[in-house]
Amino acid sequence: MTFLLRRLAFYLAAFIAAATVNFFLPRLMPGDPIQIMFASAGSELSLENLNALKLTFGFIDAPLGEQYLRYLQSVFTGDLGRSIKYFPLPVTELLGRALVWTLGLVGIATLFSFCLGTFLGVMAAWRRGTIFDSIVSLTAICSSSVPAVVVSLIMLFVFGYQLGWFPNGYAADPLLDPGFNWTYISSVIHHGTLPMLTMIIVLTGGFAVTMRNNMINLLGEDYIVMGRAKGLADNRVMLWYAARNALLPTVSSLAIALGTVLGGSLVTEVVFNYPGLGNTLYQAIIARDYPVIQGQLLIMTGAMLIANFAVDLSYVLLDPRLKKA
Amino acid sequence: MTLFRQLLGNKKAMVGLTILLLIILVAIFAPFLTEYSPVKRVGRPHQAPSWEHWLGTTRLGHDVFARLVYGARVSLAVGFGAGLAITIIGTVLGIIAGYKGGVIDEVINFFTNMVLVVPNLPLLLVLAAFIGQASPLVIAVILGLTSWAWGVRVTRSETLSIRQRDYVKSAEMLGEPSWRIMAFEIFPNLISIVGINFIGSVIFAVITEATLEFLGLGDPNTVSWGIMLYNAQNASALSVGAWWDLLAPCFALAVLGLGLALINFAIDEIANPRLRTGGMLNRWTRMVRIGEGKL
Repeated sequence: MTFLLRRLAFYLAAFIAAATVNFFLPRLMPGDPIQIMFASAGSELSLENLNALKLTFGFIDAPLGEQYLRYLQSVFTGDLGRSIKYFPLPVTELLGRALVWTLGLVGIATLFSFCLGTFLGVMAAWRRGTIFDSIVSLTAICSSSVPAVVVSLIMLFVFGYQLGWFPNGYAADPLLDPGFNWTYISSVIHHGTLPMLTMIIVLTGGFAVTMRNNMINLLGEDYIVMGRAKGLADNRVMLWYAARNALLPTVSSLAIALGTVLGGSLVTEVVFNYPGLGNTLYQAIIARDYPVIQGQLLIMTGAMLIANFAVDLSYVLLDPRLKKA
Repeated sequence: MTLFRQLLGNKKAMVGLTILLLIILVAIFAPFLTEYSPVKRVGRPHQAPSWEHWLGTTRLGHDVFARLVYGARVSLAVGFGAGLAITIIGTVLGIIAGYKGGVIDEVINFFTNMVLVVPNLPLLLVLAAFIGQASPLVIAVILGLTSWAWGVRVTRSETLSIRQRDYVKSAEMLGEPSWRIMAFEIFPNLISIVGINFIGSVIFAVITEATLEFLGLGDPNTVSWGIMLYNAQNASALSVGAWWDLLAPCFALAVLGLGLALINFAIDEIANPRLRTGGMLNRWTRMVRIGEGKL
C-alpha cells in the first residue's frame, strides 16, 4: 500500500512539474508574451479574446506566486482555457472531439502490434539462429528504426496515390452523415485502414525485438531446463515456462505505449490528414494556438502518468514480492 | 578497444558501419559530388529525374540531389551532436548516482524519473513552438537537454552492480579518489551500455529533428532532410506527381536509420552473449552436446 501511495505522490509531483513548465514558458519569452502570441496567431485582437488568453496563462494583476497558484487551481479543475483560433471554443471541447478518433485508431493499432510483435518475438527467440529468426529480427530492426514520417509518406505514396486503393485523408467520407449505419462504418474502416497499417508497421518491430531479447535471456534459466528434462512438449515449455515470464517486462512497455497513444500518432495523423489529437496539435502549432498546444501537453502527460500507475498496479498484482514492500 | 575489434567481426555491424561511413563521406565531399548549389534555382520547377538533375528538381527549381547530399551534413551533425550531449549527460549522472548513492542518488533519480514520465515529443513540440523557427543547433540543444533520462536510468542500474565488484572495492581500499574510481574503474566496464545509449540517441535525434522540421517547427532556410520533407509536403509533391521530391529524403532517412540500428543491434549482441546467433550459437550448441554448456 505504501508503495502505491509513494508512486501516487510522485506522479502528482511530475504532473505539477509539467504544469509548471507550461506556466513559465510564456513568461520566459522576450517581450510581452500575450502580444507575441497574438501576433503570431495572426488573429484579431479583441478585448474579450485577450482577457481569455491572459486567464489561460494566469496573467492576472497579482504577484507571481499567486498567479502560479491560480494557474494550478484552474488546471486541476480541468479548465484549460479557450482556443485562440476557434475562440471561444474551450480547449477541452476541441480536444474531446479529436480524442475519439485517436483512441480508436491508435488504441487498436497499439494492441494489435503488441500481440503480433510479442508472438513474433517469442517464435524468433525459440528458433534463434534460424532463418526465421534472422528474417523477423532484421525486419523488426528495419521497421522500428525508420522514422514514422518516412513510413507514413511511403505508404501514402504507394497505396494512396500510385495504386489508389485507399483514400488520402479524413476519417470518413465528408459527404456522409455520421451515424450508426453500415455505409458510414464501412467508410470509417476504409479511411482508417492505411493509417492503421502504417502504425502497425512502425510499432510491431519494437515489441518484437524487446520480447525476443527478454525471452532469449530467460531461455538459459534452470526452470526451462527442468521443463525440458521432464519431457514436456516444446510448445508447453515455450509458452507456459518461457513466454509467460518474459511477458512481465513487456507489460510495462505496452502500458507506456498506450500512454503515448495520445501523442504517438502525431505524424501518421498529419500525413493522412486524420482528425485525431495529433492532427489537432499540428494545426494548433501551425496557427500558434498556444492554449491548445499547452492543453495537449498536460493531457498527454496525464495519460502517461495514468499508464505508469497502471504498470505499478499490475506489478503489485503480478509480482507477489511487491505486495509486502 | 576490444569492443571495436568485436564490432569489426560482426556482420550486422559491418553493414551498418559501411552505410554510416558512406553517408559521412557523402556529407564531407558534397561539393565534389554535385555541380549545383543546394540553395540556388538551377532548373524549372518539378522537373522529373534526368541526366542533368539526377533526382529531379523541387517546386522552387532547386536540385534535389544537391539538397540531399548537403542535407546529410545537417542530419549527421544534429544526430551526432545531440547524441553526444545526451550520452555524456546520461553517463555522468548515471555513474555519479549509482556510485555515490545516498542523497545525491535520491535527487538524481527523482529528476530522472520525472523527466521520463513527461512525454518527450509533445514537450519538444511545445518548446519548439515557443521558440518559433528552430535552427538545427537549437533543435540539437533542446534534444540534448530533454532526452538524457533513459541513459541515466540504465547507466545507474549497471553501476549499482559494478560497484560491488572486487576491483572497485580494492581500489577503494587503496585510497583512490572517487572521481578516479568512477572514470577508470567503472566507466570502462560500462562501455557497451554507453555505446548502445550513444547510437540509440543518435537515431532518436536524427528522427526527431526530421519530424520537428517536417511539422514546420524548423527554420525553412536550412538545407536538411527534414526541411526537404516539409517543403515537398507543402508543395503537395505527391498529388502533383513529383514523387522524387518527397521520396529522396525519405530514402535517405530510412537508410541512415537502418545503418545506425544495425550497429546498435550488433553492440547489444556483443554486450549480451546470449543474444548472439549464427557462428556463436553453433559453438555453444556444440559445447552443450559435450556437456560443458548449461542447457
